[in-house]
Amino acid sequence: MFYLRNKLVVISMLLMSVLIFAACSEETVVETVVEVPVEKESTLTTILDRGELVCGVNDNLTGFGVVNSAGEFEGFDIDFCKAVAAAILGDSSKVEYVPLTASARFEALAAEEIDLLIRNTTWTASRDRDLGNDFTAATFYDGQGMMVKASSGYDSIESMTGSTVCVLQGTTTELNLDDRFTSAGIPYTPLTFETNDPLQAAYEEGRCDGWTTDKSGLASKRAGFDNPDDHVVLAETLSKEPLGPLTRDNDSEFYDVVQWVVFGMMQAEESGITSANVAAMAADPADPGMARLLGVGFDGGEATDFSFGIPLDFMQNVISQVGNYGEVYDEHLVPLGLTREGSLNAQWTEGGLIYAPPFR
Amino acid sequence: MFTSIFEQLRSKESFGKKIRVLFYDRTFRNLLVQMIFSILMIMFLWYLVSRALELDLGFSHLRSRAGFGLSHTFLIDYTSNDSRWQAYFAGIINTIRVSIVGILLATLLGVIMGLARLSKNFLISKIAAGYVEFIRNTPLLVQIIFWQLVLLQLPQISNAITFGGLSVWSNRGILLPFINSVENGSLWFLVLLISLIFCLFIRSYLNKIREENTNFFSPNLISLFIFFGIGIIFYFILGIDLYSDIPTLEVNQYGTYIQSGGFLLSPEFAAILFALVIYTGTFITEIVRGSIQSLPKGQTEAALALGLSSYQRITLIILPQALRSIIPPLTNQYLNLTKNSSLSVAIAYPDVFMVSRTIMNNAGHALPMLFLILITFLGLSLFISLFMNFLNRRVTRIGA
Repeated sequence: MFYLRNKLVVISMLLMSVLIFAACSEETVVETVVEVPVEKESTLTTILDRGELVCGVNDNLTGFGVVNSAGEFEGFDIDFCKAVAAAILGDSSKVEYVPLTASARFEALAAEEIDLLIRNTTWTASRDRDLGNDFTAATFYDGQGMMVKASSGYDSIESMTGSTVCVLQGTTTELNLDDRFTSAGIPYTPLTFETNDPLQAAYEEGRCDGWTTDKSGLASKRAGFDNPDDHVVLAETLSKEPLGPLTRDNDSEFYDVVQWVVFGMMQAEESGITSANVAAMAADPADPGMARLLGVGFDGGEATDFSFGIPLDFMQNVISQVGNYGEVYDEHLVPLGLTREGSLNAQWTEGGLIYAPPFR
Repeated sequence: MFTSIFEQLRSKESFGKKIRVLFYDRTFRNLLVQMIFSILMIMFLWYLVSRALELDLGFSHLRSRAGFGLSHTFLIDYTSNDSRWQAYFAGIINTIRVSIVGILLATLLGVIMGLARLSKNFLISKIAAGYVEFIRNTPLLVQIIFWQLVLLQLPQISNAITFGGLSVWSNRGILLPFINSVENGSLWFLVLLISLIFCLFIRSYLNKIREENTNFFSPNLISLFIFFGIGIIFYFILGIDLYSDIPTLEVNQYGTYIQSGGFLLSPEFAAILFALVIYTGTFITEIVRGSIQSLPKGQTEAALALGLSSYQRITLIILPQALRSIIPPLTNQYLNLTKNSSLSVAIAYPDVFMVSRTIMNNAGHALPMLFLILITFLGLSLFISLFMNFLNRRVTRIGA
């Protein structure tokens, strides 16, 4: 009898372990699947049910996404997470931030660990096609640059013959770097790191002559050095790097919301709506276009219905809680020395590429 | 065994009673549990297969141009213009390189430290014990990053230590003087290595003949002769032209320091190598110590009684017997070292895992790539096991 009971215990334990194993394995299977379009409920519904937006971000790039001394995430990319949360949930603080490495970010999005990826990610054809995601809009037009020590005497890419260059592994930056040096026939050694911290240590200790990444990233890192003047970012731009938020493939409801929140912030700047005057503007819009943007009626009329699946006045929440595109830019990127005048990130009316399609 | 069950079912009892009786039947209960278990397993496997079939499991993306450079290539010339397959292959070679050198050095370190732990000298045995306890109980990943940061503390290349022009030491790498050939150098080295292994086999074969025929020539001399014979023949066939390869450090017109020549030990390779050797060495130390201690004390005493020196005692009496119980757990450690080499992804050493991650990031297809990595490591591990089993058979045969 004792023997029998023992055996039963063993069997039931086996059965339980199999069940646990099966449960775990299912999870891992879902994680590794990147390219399967499976029909499921819209991310927008998921976020509304959950009452929180899960945003994949960078936690180590000053100005774009970084954890401040109070332990809170802040930066340009972070503000777009807040804007989407404000639009969908009416509260910009209802965001859970998931810090991600450059090489883990796409898998995290495809595996539904996050709803939205805003982590200085470059929009490219192969990423759009192969990695199971959709780019919504460019929030920042960046370009790849090269930072070297001021004492090194380098003044151009051509002068870096035989140098060692530190770069993040698995990024478009790594591929652009190789394109640039190989096409010019300049011998070099790439040293590829998975994360920024060991890369920065290697650069500072002189293991490599140059550090290449997006110019915004270089400006942010340079600002964080003890002596920023010891480092220079070469004038040459190696590539086009439009950065922006990404959603999963075949998720058009949520995709539209994210895209039009970004455009809405750009349009708000163009129309002169700021976080300070948005309430007044909503009460008495200056023209029908502004009324459509803020989801209110013009001159006592009915509001135009856009039907994004979220409240009509979502842009009021976004602008009052986060601000328009220019406010967000000025707060986070101007302190890094990334001025807007004359750059691609100026409004289209001032010769830049920041251009929102019409709200109608 | 089912007859009792059927009898129960056919009996004229009420349905509830039947069920109760059935449930108290041990055979039936076992059968039920096994059936539930099988059904769950089949459902789970079916689910996995159906999910896998939806994916594109091809490897066609590996034929595309790689487009990224590698900081370390060994034996083969890889450029970013080659295919992703070739990048993957370069990664495999880097993994094999760090594994082989690591296994050799870890064994050496482990044996020395294992003997040191048994030393009667208080200082030596305590140093060995301290080494084992400190290194074994800290995470390997932390040690790898530690070694990388330590090696970065070497002087910058503009202040490199040159030892009078013989060697260049900086945090770009340690360049040691080396003997090299104008061409076919690595090929000749490979030939020498293979002929060395070949001659060791010949030597053991000749030794066996000699046991029966004591008038036979010295096996040592014959195998040495064959080894040098092969070396000299290939020296002329491959057109070897030896020169002393002294490392140099130059500054080009733009101010870049360019180091060339010599044998390069890069900080990344050195960091992963040191970490793996020192970490795995602790486990080998314990294996060696345990195996020696498991020998009867009489063996040592008999060796002492015969008047053998302590060197003879260890090499002729203790180690050959201890080897029998050393090799099986040692195989495990070799496998661990090889598999742990994939941690080099943390410190910019392009092993097979890091190269595959780069490919996955550029082209997606994560699942097929992970399969490929698993199969690659499985192949490496099986090869090591095969070799160690062969060694084990040889060792257990001696004196049996």
